[in-house]
Amino acid sequence: MTFELLIPLLAAAVQSGTPILYATLGEIFTEKSGVLNLGVEGAMIVGALAGFLVSKFTGSPVLGLLAAGLAGSLATSIHGVVCLWFQGNQVVSGLALTILGAGLANYLGTPYVGLSAPGFSPLALPLLSEIPVLGQIFFNHDPLVYLSYCIPPVMWLFFAKTRFGLNLRAVGEHPAAATAAGINVVSYRWLGILGGGFFMGLGGAYLSLAYTHLWTTNLTGGRGWIAVALVIFAFWRPIRAVYGAYLFGGVMALQLRLQASGTQLPSSLLLMLPYILTVFVLVLSSWKKGSSEEPAALGVNIEPVD
Amino acid sequence: MLHMRIAKRQEPLGLGGSCLVLFLALALSLVLSGILLFLGGTPPLEGLATLFYGAFGSRWALEDSVLKAIPIFLCSLGVAVAFRLKIWNIGAEGQFALGSIGATWVALSFPDWPSFILLPAMIGMAMLAGGVWGLIPAILRQKLRTNEIIVTLMMNYIGILVLDYLVYGVWKDPSSYGFPMTPEFSDNAIVGKIGSSSINWGLLHCVVLGTFIWGFFKFTRLGFELKVSGDNVAAARYAGLPYDRLVILVMVISGALAGWAGFLEASATVNRLQPSIIVGYGYTAIVVAWLARLNPLNIGIASILLAGLRVGVENLQLELQVPAAFGGILEGLILLTVLAGGLFTHYKIERRRME
Amino acid sequence: MNMLKAVLVLTLSLFISTANAGEKEMKVGFVYVSPIGDAGYSYAHDVGRQAVEAMEGVTTSYVESVSEGPDSGRVILNMARKGYDVIFATSFGYMDPMLKVAKRFPKVAFLHCSGFKQSENMGNYFGRMYQARYLTGIVAGEMTKSNIIGYVAAFPIPEVIRGINAFALGVQSVNPDATVRVVWTKTWYDPATEKEAAKSLLDVGADILAQHQDSPGPQEAAEERGVYSFGYNSDMASFAPKAHLTAPVWNWGPYYVKIVEEVKNGTWKAGSEWPGLAEGIIGLSPFGPMVSQELRDNVAAVKAEIVAGDKKVFAGPIKDQNGVVKIAEGVVAPDADLLGMTWFVEGVVGTTE
Repeated sequence: MTFELLIPLLAAAVQSGTPILYATLGEIFTEKSGVLNLGVEGAMIVGALAGFLVSKFTGSPVLGLLAAGLAGSLATSIHGVVCLWFQGNQVVSGLALTILGAGLANYLGTPYVGLSAPGFSPLALPLLSEIPVLGQIFFNHDPLVYLSYCIPPVMWLFFAKTRFGLNLRAVGEHPAAATAAGINVVSYRWLGILGGGFFMGLGGAYLSLAYTHLWTTNLTGGRGWIAVALVIFAFWRPIRAVYGAYLFGGVMALQLRLQASGTQLPSSLLLMLPYILTVFVLVLSSWKKGSSEEPAALGVNIEPVD
Repeated sequence: MLHMRIAKRQEPLGLGGSCLVLFLALALSLVLSGILLFLGGTPPLEGLATLFYGAFGSRWALEDSVLKAIPIFLCSLGVAVAFRLKIWNIGAEGQFALGSIGATWVALSFPDWPSFILLPAMIGMAMLAGGVWGLIPAILRQKLRTNEIIVTLMMNYIGILVLDYLVYGVWKDPSSYGFPMTPEFSDNAIVGKIGSSSINWGLLHCVVLGTFIWGFFKFTRLGFELKVSGDNVAAARYAGLPYDRLVILVMVISGALAGWAGFLEASATVNRLQPSIIVGYGYTAIVVAWLARLNPLNIGIASILLAGLRVGVENLQLELQVPAAFGGILEGLILLTVLAGGLFTHYKIERRRME
Repeated sequence: MNMLKAVLVLTLSLFISTANAGEKEMKVGFVYVSPIGDAGYSYAHDVGRQAVEAMEGVTTSYVESVSEGPDSGRVILNMARKGYDVIFATSFGYMDPMLKVAKRFPKVAFLHCSGFKQSENMGNYFGRMYQARYLTGIVAGEMTKSNIIGYVAAFPIPEVIRGINAFALGVQSVNPDATVRVVWTKTWYDPATEKEAAKSLLDVGADILAQHQDSPGPQEAAEERGVYSFGYNSDMASFAPKAHLTAPVWNWGPYYVKIVEEVKNGTWKAGSEWPGLAEGIIGLSPFGPMVSQELRDNVAAVKAEIVAGDKKVFAGPIKDQNGVVKIAEGVVAPDADLLGMTWFVEGVVGTTE
């Protein structure tokens, strides 16, 4: 590996990290309200299909993107019904959502496999893309990458400064106290679930509308699960999610580039790198738990009151 | 105006009520999936009937379903042990992979040992390998408070890649024309079939292990402690129970059982190790464990049901050309509806008139 | 509960028997390893199945996404039990399970794709896709400027390795200095990963991409970067009109129709068939406009030689990556060696593990 390979590698890290970033932000948003949703993978793939189909039939990738977000919310609303209305276990409901989402998307999407749809193409940002090194790494991508740059700071502001954001966090931290303060806990949890689902849907759409312009069965390929892992790595902070997603995307891109450079290591071992790294950073970040912002009531259902 | 409200039951719903709720939940999931079949252009009733017939409608179909239920049952039994303590072991898939690797190592290294030594050695190694794969996330969880859901999940990917590495590399059968598979096991390393059926003796393993786990929770002090700790960690610690050690214990048992399933799959059904041994039993096991409310007997029933679902979907494809993904939809729907139905165990919905 | 079950089974069996009653049609079953929606390998087989379905007096069916190992044995067995007359199993791992079933159903014709075992009523077959790969290699060798050609590959199994080797030999036949770099993705159809793999090859200087994968992900990468590419399985030009040179493609229809016809007439005998360019089972999709007429003529000439049997792709001397002669001068590698190929020829950069 030489230096001139480093810049394309970092640019690739940003791009392959982007779908994961969207999904991670979505899961952070949901978990902040105290709901654990392991169904990220399911919401993503449903979003990927919806985005693809709408873009294909309307010719508008923007409408497709919107549809993907809404479809993601629709998928996670199942989780909401089961966990918020019916008190179902959040871990199992999330798993079920993953199974159902993949089944649904693959079932409904079968006729469209191998077709392409209009999508987002790389668009170098004027001026910014001309900054040496940084321009090539960060400002030579498709519009959805740029959009993903905006979300973490906005989400941070939302949590830190707005009343909605503060209430949402209160619901995730201490639902009983929030109720006492007159906050409608269930409504905020719905906000967390649906809002998070929207971002997960966008993450799926990134795969079918920007990264590639294709639909296929199992398009998400486990990226939703990585997102669940990265939430913990990110200490539930939107900004830290960026590092996590790019780090994972970078290792993915790195192992392919190691192969392309002619390494003799078996591909099975190289493919393990991202997963080993995830465990490793998870261990490291658990070590200094102090700065974590894990919602105290994460995964705990709110008992209906008489 | 008619209003609904949810009220806590004085006592949990009885057996009859639970069965009714379960039945209604299953019926709802069948109706929903029937609608999907209809949308896909398949007559829904005939579709579901074809599915059912393919799963349980003949002796062969039943045998196929039971055969497929064996690894699911063992993985699920393991998962259930961990779930008892509210440890979310999503890693049965990887533990299964490691178990098959452990068993294969023994089978390939000592093919000439007589069966009565070789098979127990394979089981032992499979349990050890699977157990270690469960031990690592347990230690990380207790020492460093690392989230076990993520670690077990990542270790699934890693375990499967270890298997890949071995069968694509050092264990590749020289006479397999370069395809990724180990040589076929010697006869001594193969668990045989029961009589003239296609079901192997692994079924007996399931019965024995299931009974053992059931008895363990029912009659032993340790089992009781586990149940208590699962219900309330703080109380368990307060009562002086060694919670850390219990967590490690259940994860090792959990992994060892999944490893045993890996042994059976390699030895009895495939007779060798190859990447296609991994077909997602570990994930199905979680669904099964939850549907069965962690009870070994129910796990048996749920395993056969879900195995039947997978077998039946093949029939559905063959007869009516329904895409394979339909199985996933039905599985997801069943799980979600049953999960939602669980509400009625502790709550009831009352109607009341309001002004 | 038992009552209920009995009633259910009864009604269900009614369904089934009415569905099958009074048909004398020949039933042909196909077993696929991936969903037919993969737009690739299984899809190509399924296009062949549709040609069989169009035959008079023949009905077909299939089961998709059947994993190798015990599942495939069960699926094949159930087809045999349901009275299927011909069963095609289209993945390597189905070989041993199919052999077991074939022994129990001597009247059924079993055909296994890509393996090497056979019995009285089980034949095997495959297509010499490597011949078409060799032809695309010639195009690549002529058109590369950087002398680095990227190859995005799925799994290190002989079918794929053989294709890479044939491609590299084709490249070297016109351009001995060019090398072929291989990246394994361990996926058959993950467009994002495969596109990323393609980009990684472009980053190390490749200016032409070939792929052994079902998704057009690498095509998109080539189109975006303005380099050339070869598709696979079917014509992928629509995904990369400016990049797509040509694609080696399958055409199973004629072969499947022929086999079913033979079984119908009672003339079928289990054997080992490996049709290629000569039989039209494989071929090249139309060239893109960037391929010069001269080059097209060259390729056509080599193709004619292969079809006539005058030229063999794997004719010695051929060395492996370490420079060891694997196929000696004057020797043509026998089919069995091709079927079990696990080494790369000289000039390929990558590992077969």
